[in-house]
Amino acid sequence: MKTASFKSDFLVAAIALVILLALPSIVGGKAFPDFVIRMSAYAVFATSLNLLIGYGGMVSFGHGLFFGLGAYSFALMLQKLGVSVPVALMGTVGISALIALIVGAICIRLKEIYFAFLTLAFQMLFHSSIIAWTDVTGGDQGLTGGIPRPPFLGIRLDDPVHLYVFCAVMLVGSLLIMRHLLQTPFGFSLRMIRDNPNRCGFLGIRVWRVKLLAFVVAGIFGSIGGLIMSLYISSAYPDFAYWTMSGEAIFMILLGGMTVFLGPLVGAVTLLLLTDVISSTPALKEYNMLVLGLIILVFALGLRKGILGSVYEWWADRRRPDSTANPEAHASGSHH
Amino acid sequence: MSQKRHLGVKRRDFVKSIGALAAASTLGFPYVSRAAGKVIRVGVPTILSGRVAQVGMSSLNAINMEVKKFNDAGGLGGRLIEIISRDSKGKPDEAANNVKHLINSEGCEIIIDAEASSGSFAVQEVVRETGVLCLHTVSETSSLTADPKIRVPSAFRVARQGIHDAVVSASYAATIAKKNKLRRWMSCSPDYAYGRDNTSLFLDYLKRFYPDMELVGETWPKLFQADYTENITKILQVKPDAMYSALWGGDLVSFVDQSSIYALFSQTKLFATNLADYTTMSAIKNLPDGIHSSNRYLKAYPATQENHDWADTYRAAHKDWPTNWAWENKLAVEFLVAALTKANSTDATKMSEVIRGLTVKSPFGHNGTVTMRGEDQTIINYAIGWGATLRKEPFMKDVFPGDWKMILELEAEWKEKSGYV
Amino acid sequence: MDFEALFSCVTSTSCIITQTTGGLISGMLLFLVAAGLSLIFGTLKVTNFMHGSLYMLGAYFAYTIFNLSESYTLAVIGAAVGVGVFALVFERLFMSRVYGSDVLLQLLVCYAFILILDDAVKLIWGSEFLAMGMPEAFRKPPFFIAGGVIPVFYMFLIVVTLIIAGVIALLITKTRFGKIVRAAAINPTMTSSLGINTALVFGSVFALGGLLAGLAGALAVPVRSLVAGMGFSIVIESFIVTVIGGMGSIAGALVGALLIGLVRSFGAIGFPLFTEGLMFVLMVVILVLRPSGLFGKDQ
Repeated sequence: MKTASFKSDFLVAAIALVILLALPSIVGGKAFPDFVIRMSAYAVFATSLNLLIGYGGMVSFGHGLFFGLGAYSFALMLQKLGVSVPVALMGTVGISALIALIVGAICIRLKEIYFAFLTLAFQMLFHSSIIAWTDVTGGDQGLTGGIPRPPFLGIRLDDPVHLYVFCAVMLVGSLLIMRHLLQTPFGFSLRMIRDNPNRCGFLGIRVWRVKLLAFVVAGIFGSIGGLIMSLYISSAYPDFAYWTMSGEAIFMILLGGMTVFLGPLVGAVTLLLLTDVISSTPALKEYNMLVLGLIILVFALGLRKGILGSVYEWWADRRRPDSTANPEAHASGSHH
Repeated sequence: MSQKRHLGVKRRDFVKSIGALAAASTLGFPYVSRAAGKVIRVGVPTILSGRVAQVGMSSLNAINMEVKKFNDAGGLGGRLIEIISRDSKGKPDEAANNVKHLINSEGCEIIIDAEASSGSFAVQEVVRETGVLCLHTVSETSSLTADPKIRVPSAFRVARQGIHDAVVSASYAATIAKKNKLRRWMSCSPDYAYGRDNTSLFLDYLKRFYPDMELVGETWPKLFQADYTENITKILQVKPDAMYSALWGGDLVSFVDQSSIYALFSQTKLFATNLADYTTMSAIKNLPDGIHSSNRYLKAYPATQENHDWADTYRAAHKDWPTNWAWENKLAVEFLVAALTKANSTDATKMSEVIRGLTVKSPFGHNGTVTMRGEDQTIINYAIGWGATLRKEPFMKDVFPGDWKMILELEAEWKEKSGYV
Repeated sequence: MDFEALFSCVTSTSCIITQTTGGLISGMLLFLVAAGLSLIFGTLKVTNFMHGSLYMLGAYFAYTIFNLSESYTLAVIGAAVGVGVFALVFERLFMSRVYGSDVLLQLLVCYAFILILDDAVKLIWGSEFLAMGMPEAFRKPPFFIAGGVIPVFYMFLIVVTLIIAGVIALLITKTRFGKIVRAAAINPTMTSSLGINTALVFGSVFALGGLLAGLAGALAVPVRSLVAGMGFSIVIESFIVTVIGGMGSIAGALVGALLIGLVRSFGAIGFPLFTEGLMFVLMVVILVLRPSGLFGKDQ
């Protein structure tokens, strides 16, 4: 049963990848690939945070740490150590896994808002360190001089087409792996812990181990989001590790719907589209924060399950008109 | 806990989401490129919101005034300039993305980059990739154009440059310090790239012009810090004769106001390079006497009719005084118009050729003209002056004009030392 | 890092006095903002991320009232009351709709208002930074005590803040209102079934928190320039203070604020480039060792 589910996910992912690769030639122009690459960075990042928030019930305010970590470690390894792209990629995954393990081991002991604040503190500490460690990170100026991209296996990441394909594969691949992990016993334990940690303890699930694993997985994929971003803008900036970055990801999750796996992806697409439309409209751009704030407010108060969450719920209700025996339709908006 | 929540366990929603993604993609209307046409589109990545929104506001004010003149005069054989701005909120990654968007989807052929320092480096990388013509109008960080590894053939700086300011600041400060025996110096500058570079260059040259000076302490507030008490008390501990500060804008206002109530400036002379800008000077209600500053922008310096008239026209149009960024952007449009007219084309290579080495008449010139130096694509011979500030117009008395011969000599030496030549 | 400078400072009386009073002063305004934050969290279990924006509004209100009336007293009172009313309206119209739901929705509503208020301030007062200047009454030379320097205005600030701290403590511990607030904090359902209007209690606590933030803004305005977005940095600092002191504890907020003030003031001497980082180190240590903070009740 598990393998069947993976097979169909894999099939869907393969089809999605084909569509994604075909789209630029249909849409035309250079702007669309730019959008997809940037969106990939945010979508992978937001989805990885949703592993913690939506599936693990662990609200982290400090996930931006991993976005920044991914961008800086990947860019620095290429720029200062001159390693090849695959080595930098593996190195980034390794470093983020290690940092996530340490930070996670300290943070997961705490609950609710205290967990959120401790993750926030670690993130801000990391941000302060980037700014203070000017010799290596370039401080607030960010990394200057661009990131070298030595060709590997015939892939040249300084070619826009190659970069597009690479990022599309990273996006679909990352989502597929996260999706698959949620279908394993680990994924089911994680959801059980979210719903009732005490009972899981009685059932012999090592709660802290599952939580820590989730934290590490989320950290790794969060850093891959940062890695894609560093390739897109050919640099890394301290802003990546600032609390606003975590805030944006949280908004993407809520916008798309945290109860659905692809909610964060839809949230990322929507938010980027929205901000682009707002900042391209002469009447709105001077007060773009005001406009965006009003939209956020409408979502927060009106569409609490997010776009995809609401669509899904409407779909479920339609398919089961006798939904009186369907308590979850009203449940998911009220985690505590 | 009898409630069960099916969080994304259904396969169906995965399939559906792909549909949603595809739908969202076809909605991607902002990403369909606009072709270059009759109108000359000029993109302006800048900061329009948050704490330094003033950068973007005053830059655009000046740009629009100047572009209107060009368009009213018929443009380039009937082709008019359209300005398209985008707000980065001061984030460098947004700045990079905005420039890509302006070029690839808005069809901008020219970029006037009114981003602050870190944003301008991000813009520079996009310009390198795309090869469009770019005029940086705000960034003063020397390496942007001085470092050959960072320089780009189609990117020019139409703004002050740190090293130029440092030479003038230090030679002025040395003169005053010698006269008044100000030996013990301290610095209090914002802790980010601009503040650190500017301050270390100033101190190097001060030491050179006035070998008796001694650096007795440094304090580094954060950019946009609200409370400077910790920095002020540190200065009070050290009791230097004089101090240098590269704080600017609202930060400088807060610092001066908070220092005043400690009576700091009765024992220590302040040399604040960024004070003499209208918006900063007029914001400080109880400006202490005798603070020294460089002219960021004052209509009284250079003391020419053109400069005076421009300030008044700007004030009449925007109900506000021009800033340092305003004159830099006006000058950038003047360079752009000259390039468009002489090259009679919007081709980046052709325009770059015209701009390299070009001298334009300008109210902000040291002697009525400003030159774009060809070798490193940055302006020289613009007016830099230092003086003691006054509370009212003309805001500065006995302006000490920068000596461009000395600036250029020392700059050449500095470039050699930094490994830039 | 400059341990030498730090060492020579802690062995000099005048340095200790100046740095300590400097730390106290920085801590005082921080306390007013953090106290409101802590009060709201303690009673409503809401983390008010837009608290910094209320501080900003207080500063702008005070600026405008002072320019119209030339009275700083009126400006401070007007700004505090004005922001209190604003906070009440905000709580009734928006925040009350997300009570009891996900903390993320609260975060989102607050985030929306941070953006809206920053642009609203830009729309009303312009994008340029503004400064009010020191009121006439405080333009006097500073006091010199044992080699340390203390400005007149800061003396006033310390006294006012301590009085306010006392008043809040009395309000919470001695009055009927305080009893209701404490009861509503522990068990809102029970409190409302006793016939007490919890909506009114929640609204007034939010208003009181807003009033304190507005007061801090008004008290800061003679020495801090005003600009849209000025609430941004203060909100992070006040979160650090509340976490250190214990979320919900007023005494904790006071101790936390003073502690942060002192860390900054001595940190500026010993670790000039890592002062900000030091605060986060402190926050991590406290959260790890004692998650509920120095004065908080256990989790």
